[in-house]
Amino acid sequence: MELIIRDLSKRYANGVQAIDRVSLSIPPGMFGLLGPNGAGKSTLMRTLATLQSADAGSATLGDIDILREPEKVRAVLGYLPQDFGVYPKVSALDLLDHFARLKGLVDARSRRETVDALLHRVNLHDVRKQKLGGFSGGMRQRFGIAQAMLGSPKLVIVDEPTAGLDPEERVRFHNLLADIASDVVVILSTHIVSDVADLCSNFAVINKGRVLLTGEPGTFVAEIANRVWRKVVTKAEADALKAQVRVVSTRLQAGATVIRAYGQDAPGPGFEVAEADLEDVYFCTIAGYLAAPMAKAA
Amino acid sequence: MSTMTSPMLAIAWFDFARRLRMISTYVYFVLFAVLAGLWMAAAGGALASASVNFGGDKVLINGPYALAFGIAFLGFAGVTVIGSITGRAVQQDFEYGTYHFFFTAPIHKRDYFFGRLLGAYLTLVLIFVSIALGIVIGSNWPGVDSSRIVAHPSWESFVRPYLLLLLPNMLWLGGCFFVLAALTRQMAPVYVAGVVLLVGYLFAINLLGDMENKTLAAFVDPSGATAFDVLVRYWSVAQKNGEQIPFAGELLWNRAVWLCLGIVVTAVGYRAFRMQAVASGSGRKRRMVEESPVAESAPGLVELPAAKLDRSAGAFARMLPGLMRLYVAEILRSPRFLTIVLGGVLLVIGNALTLGSFYGTNTYPLTYKVLDVVGGLFSLFILIVTAIYAGELVWRERDARMDDITDSAPAPTWLGFLAKLGALLVLQAILLLVVLVCSIGVQLAQGFTRIELGHYLFELYVLQFSGFALIAVLALAVHTLINNKYLGHFVVLLLFIVTSRLPDFGFEDRLYRYGSRPEMFYSDLNGYGHFLPAVFWFRLYWSAFAMLLLVLAYVLWVRGRDAGWRGRLRTAAARFTPAVGSIAGAAAVAFVATGAWIYYNTHVLNPFHSRHDVQRMQADYERRFKSLTGIAQPKITAVDVHVDIYPQQHRARLAGTMTLVNKSAQPIGDLYVLYPKAATAHRVDIGVPARLADEVPDMRWHHYVLDTPLAPGATSEFRFDLEYGARGFRNDGADFVVLDNGTFLNAGLNPDTTLIPSFGYDESGELSSDNDRKKFGLSAKPRMHDLDEKAQHDVSALSRDADFIAYRARVCTAADQLPVTSGYVERDWTENGRRCLSYRMDSPMAALYPFVSARYTVKRDVWRGPDGDVAIEIDYQPGHEYNLDRMIAGVKDSLDYYTRHYSPYQHKIMRIIEFPRFSRSGGFAESFPNTVPFNEAIGFTAKVDDNDPKDIDYPYFVTAHEVAHQWWAHQEVPANVQGAEFITESLAEYSALMVLKQKYGDAKMRRFLKYELDRYLQGRGLEQKGEQPLLRADGAAYVHYQKGSHVLYALQDAIGEAAMNDALSSFVRQWRFKGPPYPTSRDLIAELRRVTPADRQGLIEDFFETITLYDDRAISAGARKRPDGKYDVDLVVSAKKTRADGAGNEKEAPMDALVDIGVRDPKGTLLFLEKRRVTTGENRFTLEVTGEPAKAGIDPLNKLIDRDAGDNLVDVMRP
Repeated sequence: MELIIRDLSKRYANGVQAIDRVSLSIPPGMFGLLGPNGAGKSTLMRTLATLQSADAGSATLGDIDILREPEKVRAVLGYLPQDFGVYPKVSALDLLDHFARLKGLVDARSRRETVDALLHRVNLHDVRKQKLGGFSGGMRQRFGIAQAMLGSPKLVIVDEPTAGLDPEERVRFHNLLADIASDVVVILSTHIVSDVADLCSNFAVINKGRVLLTGEPGTFVAEIANRVWRKVVTKAEADALKAQVRVVSTRLQAGATVIRAYGQDAPGPGFEVAEADLEDVYFCTIAGYLAAPMAKAA
Repeated sequence: MSTMTSPMLAIAWFDFARRLRMISTYVYFVLFAVLAGLWMAAAGGALASASVNFGGDKVLINGPYALAFGIAFLGFAGVTVIGSITGRAVQQDFEYGTYHFFFTAPIHKRDYFFGRLLGAYLTLVLIFVSIALGIVIGSNWPGVDSSRIVAHPSWESFVRPYLLLLLPNMLWLGGCFFVLAALTRQMAPVYVAGVVLLVGYLFAINLLGDMENKTLAAFVDPSGATAFDVLVRYWSVAQKNGEQIPFAGELLWNRAVWLCLGIVVTAVGYRAFRMQAVASGSGRKRRMVEESPVAESAPGLVELPAAKLDRSAGAFARMLPGLMRLYVAEILRSPRFLTIVLGGVLLVIGNALTLGSFYGTNTYPLTYKVLDVVGGLFSLFILIVTAIYAGELVWRERDARMDDITDSAPAPTWLGFLAKLGALLVLQAILLLVVLVCSIGVQLAQGFTRIELGHYLFELYVLQFSGFALIAVLALAVHTLINNKYLGHFVVLLLFIVTSRLPDFGFEDRLYRYGSRPEMFYSDLNGYGHFLPAVFWFRLYWSAFAMLLLVLAYVLWVRGRDAGWRGRLRTAAARFTPAVGSIAGAAAVAFVATGAWIYYNTHVLNPFHSRHDVQRMQADYERRFKSLTGIAQPKITAVDVHVDIYPQQHRARLAGTMTLVNKSAQPIGDLYVLYPKAATAHRVDIGVPARLADEVPDMRWHHYVLDTPLAPGATSEFRFDLEYGARGFRNDGADFVVLDNGTFLNAGLNPDTTLIPSFGYDESGELSSDNDRKKFGLSAKPRMHDLDEKAQHDVSALSRDADFIAYRARVCTAADQLPVTSGYVERDWTENGRRCLSYRMDSPMAALYPFVSARYTVKRDVWRGPDGDVAIEIDYQPGHEYNLDRMIAGVKDSLDYYTRHYSPYQHKIMRIIEFPRFSRSGGFAESFPNTVPFNEAIGFTAKVDDNDPKDIDYPYFVTAHEVAHQWWAHQEVPANVQGAEFITESLAEYSALMVLKQKYGDAKMRRFLKYELDRYLQGRGLEQKGEQPLLRADGAAYVHYQKGSHVLYALQDAIGEAAMNDALSSFVRQWRFKGPPYPTSRDLIAELRRVTPADRQGLIEDFFETITLYDDRAISAGARKRPDGKYDVDLVVSAKKTRADGAGNEKEAPMDALVDIGVRDPKGTLLFLEKRRVTTGENRFTLEVTGEPAKAGIDPLNKLIDRDAGDNLVDVMRP
C-alpha cells in the first residue's frame, strides 16, 4: 500500500498555517521527514495518525481515506508520538497487554505471545513486571516502539524517536525499524539528518508547512556534488564572510571555525571543494539556494 | 489480564483494577468507614462526651430515618471524592500524555468514554460501600446504648438510602464531573464545580429555613437530602423509626430532575467529545517565534557584559516582595481562584437577603450581624483557598518542572519558603478584603449607611486574620512534611475536620487545640468588652507554636531531588544554623511561658470543667441531695438588698437582708443555703444562732444547723454580704457575668447569674436529658411534677423558696451608667463618684427581680388608662432607636386590651430595658415585675417593613407578649406542676395574638398562625421524651408557645372573643396574688368549659386535654355562574381527626365539628367564610358567592392543627 498525500492543509485557530498544500507520495519502506522545529512535521504526523483534522486536501493509504475513515486507519496504524507519557504505577507488561487488547488482539493466548515477543524485541523483557514510573527515558522510548508495533501495522509513524537516546540505543532503534517488513510504510520524522541518511530510501524536506524537496537522498547529494566548498577561518573572518558568500553552515572543528559555502565555483580565496552530504542538501534547501522546489527526481 | 469481549468493558475493568492497586482508594474507603462509624457511635452514646443528634433521643440511630439521613449526608460529603475519581479517570490521560495511544487505537469513542466512566463508577461504588460498613460497625460498638439501635436492621433500611439518595447522586454528579474533565482536559474546572455544588447545597439549607420556599429548596438541593427532609418533616418519632423512606413527592421529582440533568449533560458531553489531540497552545495565542534556521554552532560574537553580582542576605531579602508578588499575581489571575471567590460571594449575597430572620422578618444589617453571616460563610472559602494554595505554592516549581533550575540557583532556601508563606498570607488578606467589600455592600444595599469601618478592620484584620494565618502555617507545614501533593491536601482536610470536632469527643482544652481561641462576644452595648485579653493570650500561644512549625518546615524543606527522609534529615541538620536555632528557641520559650500563664488562668485560678465534668457534677448533686426535696425550708417574705456593681473591675457585691418565715407546720432545724462558688462570702448570718455543718462550694451548697430549730410561724432576718469577681480567664473565655456595659444579674432565673442566696434543694440543677442521665446511672425523670402532685400545688413555679415578697433595693454602679431593678425609683443620687438609685415595690410581687446596669438613653411616654396613668420607659443603647415607637405602641395597645378585658394593671410603670445579646440571664426577653429586659438582637434591631405583607411586626408582638406576662405569671402565679406554662406562656402568646389581630387585621393572622403551626409540627418530630397535651404541658416550647397560642386562638374563633375574655378575666381575678395553693391548668380549663356552649365542649377535649390533629383537605371545587352575576361553588372536602399519644402513635377519632369553609378571589381576598358542620370523610357543600372565585376550601386561615396546611385550598374549576 502506498501513502498518497494531496494538497493537505491545516490552519490553527491562532492563524498559523501549520501545513500548506503538502503533497507527497510515500511507497512502502522508510521515509524520512526532515525539517526544523515548527516546520509542521508533528502536525502532519498527527493528521496522518487521525489525531487531527485537516482543512483541505486528502490523504489515502491504499484505498483507505485517512481523513474520512479514521477507524480503518487505526486498525493498521502504529504511532509513536513525540511527547508521550505512561501510567506510572502500572507495569510495562500490563500496559502493553492492555494496548494490545485495544488494538484488537482479543484472544488471550496469542496476545500474551505477541506481547512477550515484542518485549524481547525491544529488550524490555527482563523488566517487564516493573512499574513504568521507574523507567528511564530510553526505556520509555523502547516501550513506545513496542506498542507502535502491536498488531502488525501497515503504517508506522514515528515522531522524533531518537531524541534523548544514547548512541547505543540509537543504533538498536535503527535496527528495530529496519527489521520491519518491507511492505510497511514507515514515516520517520526527525531533525537529525544522519538518521535519514542512514535509514531512509526516500525523504522530504519540509519548512513553514511546505514541502521544499522530496525524493531519494542519493540523487540530491549527487546534484550538489561539486558545489559545496569549505574553508578554515577565524571567528572574525567568519563574520565578514557571511555577508559575501552563500553560507551553508559554520561549525567548530577541533577548536577552529570551519565554514561551508555553496556556489558553482569557489566563493572566494582559500575555499576548497568539500565532500557534499545530505546535511548540506538540507541546509541549502532551507536557505533556498537550490533554485526552485524540485519535484521528485528519479 | 482477563478476556473481555468488549473494549469498553476491557477499559472499565483495567481502570478499576488499577484503582484497586492505588493507596488512595483504600484511604477513601477507610476514611468513610471511620466517619460513618464515629457518627453512629457518637449518636449511640458510646463516646463519653460526644453528641450527634438528628431528631431527638428517641429516634433509633439505625432506623430508616436516621440511616437515610446519615447515608445521604456522608455520601454528599463525598462529592469531592466523586469529582476526584471521575475527573481523574479521563484527565489522567492528558496529564500523563497517554491519550495518544487510546485515540489511535481501533476503538470507538463510546468504548473509551463509557469505559472510563464505568470504571470510575465501579470504584466509587466500592468506596461508598464503606459507609454501610462503618454504620454497622459503629452501631454495634461497645458502649452504644442498646435501646437506641435496632438489633437487626432490615436490609431495606440500608438499600433504600443507597438507591434513592447516594447512588443517583453518584451517577449524575460523576457524569457531570467526568464530562467537565473530558472536555476541558483539566482538573481545575472539576474542583471549581465541586465548590459551586457545595455553595448550592448550603444555599438550599438556608432556603429551607424560610418555609415559604420549601418546595423550591427541595428541588434546588442536588443531594436530595432536603427533598427527603421536606417529605418527612412532620413525621412523628414513631414514624421515623418504623417507616421506610417513601419514593414519592418531592423526593421522586428531585431524583428525576437531577438524574435527567446528569443524563443530558453526559449525552451532550459525549457528542462534543473528540478523540483527537488538541492543537498545541489551544485557546492561547501563542505565536510561533520565527527564527533563522542557519545552524549557528559557533559561539556568538556578542560580548556579554560583566554583571555585578550581589549574593548577600540583604539582597535576597529585598527580593522577597517581588517574589511574593509573582506568586500572588499568578494565583489571582487563575480561573479556579476567581471561581472560588465568586462562589463565596454568591453564597454571601444569597444569605444576606434573609439576614437574621425571625418570624420571616429581617433585622437591620448592623456590622456585627453582617460580619456574623458574611464572615461565617466566607471563612469556609478562606479555608478552602488556604488549603488548596498551600499545596499549589509548595509544589509550584515541581509542577512546572522548573525545580531543577530553581533549586540549583544560589538563592537561599529561606527566600522561596518565606515568599510562599507570604503569598499565602497575602491571599488571605485579599479574601478578607472581599469579605469587607461584600459586607459593606450588603449594608448599603439595604439602605444602611452607618458603616463602622474601624470595627470591620479590627474584626477582620486583627481577630480573624490572626487565626487564618495560623491555619496557613499549618497547611504549609503539612505540605512540606508530607511530600505528596494529593496526600498533603487530604491530611490538611483531615486536620481541619479533626480539630474542629475535637470538643465533640470530649477534648475541650484549648491548650492542645491548634489555633483555637476562647469565645468572644460582640455586642453593640458592650463592644468587645473584656473578652479580648484571653483571646490575645491564646493567639500568642499558638503563634509561638506556629513559629516552631515554620522552623520545622524550613529545615525539612525539599530542595533538589533528594526527597527521601535520610537526605532531608541531613539537610535539616545543616540548615539548623544558630540563627534558626535562636528563633526556634525564642519561640519555644514564648510557647512555654504563655502556655504556663494560660494554664494558670484556665486551670488554677478558675476550675477547668469539661462538658462531661459539669454533667457529672450535676449527677452527683442529685445523688447526694435529692432526698432533701420535701424537707421544709423557710420562705422569703421580704427582700432588702444593696447591690454594688463595678463594671470596669467585673465585680459585684450584693448585701442585704431577707426576712424568712417558717410557713410549715413543723420546726425547721436545717437550713440549706445556695450561692455561687465564685462569690466570696463576707457575711452569711442566718439571723438566729447556727453553725455551718457542711458545704460543697462546687455545688453552691451550704448546710447550716440551727442551734434552736425555727418554730412554725417564726421569723428570722437572714443577712448576707457576697462579693463576686471574675479572676483571670477560663478555657472558654472571660467570665461574662459583670460586663463593661450591659450587666444583667437576676434573682432566680438562671443559676449562673443568680448572686442572691436561695434556699432548699434546687431541682433546676439536675440533668434533664434522659440520655445524659443514663450515662451517669440515673433513671429517667419527668420534665415537671405531675399535675396532680398535691404537695407541689403549694409551691410557686417561679420560685421554690418564696411566695409573694416585699421588695426594696439600692443599686449603685459606675457614674455614667444607669442601674435598674423592679419597683419605683425613690431616690436618684451620686455618691463617691458612683451613681445610685433606690427602688421600692409598692405591691406584693413574685421573688423574681433583675439587676441591670448600662449606659442607657431613656425614652419616656405615658399610657393614659381609665384608672390612672402608667409611665412607660425604654432604656436603650444609643443607636438602636429603630423600633422604640413600635415597642411603646405595643405597651399601650396591650395595656389597653388587657386592662379592658382581663384585670387592672398592678403597677404604675412599665420599663423595657435592652441587654446584650449573649447574656446568660436572658433568652429573647424576660418579664420581671414591671420590668421587661429585651435582647438587643430581638426587637431592638428588627427591621420591619410595614409595606411588605410578609413582614410581621415582632417588636410590637414580643412587647405585647411580655406585657401579658404581667398578668399571666405575675398576677396569676402558677403552681409548680405540669401545665404551668400553659397558663403563663400560652396565655401570654394568645393575648399578644389578640392585640396583633386588633391592630393589623385578619390577613396578618394567617401568616402568623401558619408559622406557629409549622413550628409546632416540626417540634413534634424532634420530641425527646414524649409529647404532652396542653393540660400537662411540661416545658416543651413547641407545645406551650406554638400549640398553645394556636388552639387558644381557634377556641376564641369558635366561641367568640367576648366569651373567651369572660373566662380569662374570671380566671385572673380569682387567682390574683393568691397562693399557696397556686392555680393549675385545671383551673383555667374549668373557666373555659364554663363559657363554652354545650355543643362545642368537644373542642376543649380536642385542644387542651389530648393531642389532636386534623387532616383537612380540599379535593375539588367547581363554579357555575348564575344569571344574577353571582356564582355557585360546589366544593368537596375531606376531613379526618386523629388522636396521638406521647410517642406519636396515632388512632383515628370521629370528627364532627364546625369548621370554616371559605372561598378566595384571584387577589386572595376572602369572599366567603362561614362555619359549616364537617364530619369524617367526604363532605360536600354548595356555596353562594358574590365575586369571582379562584380558590376554595376548608379552614383557609389554618385555625386547626393540620398536618398539611398547604392542601386546604384548591383551584376552582370553571366549566
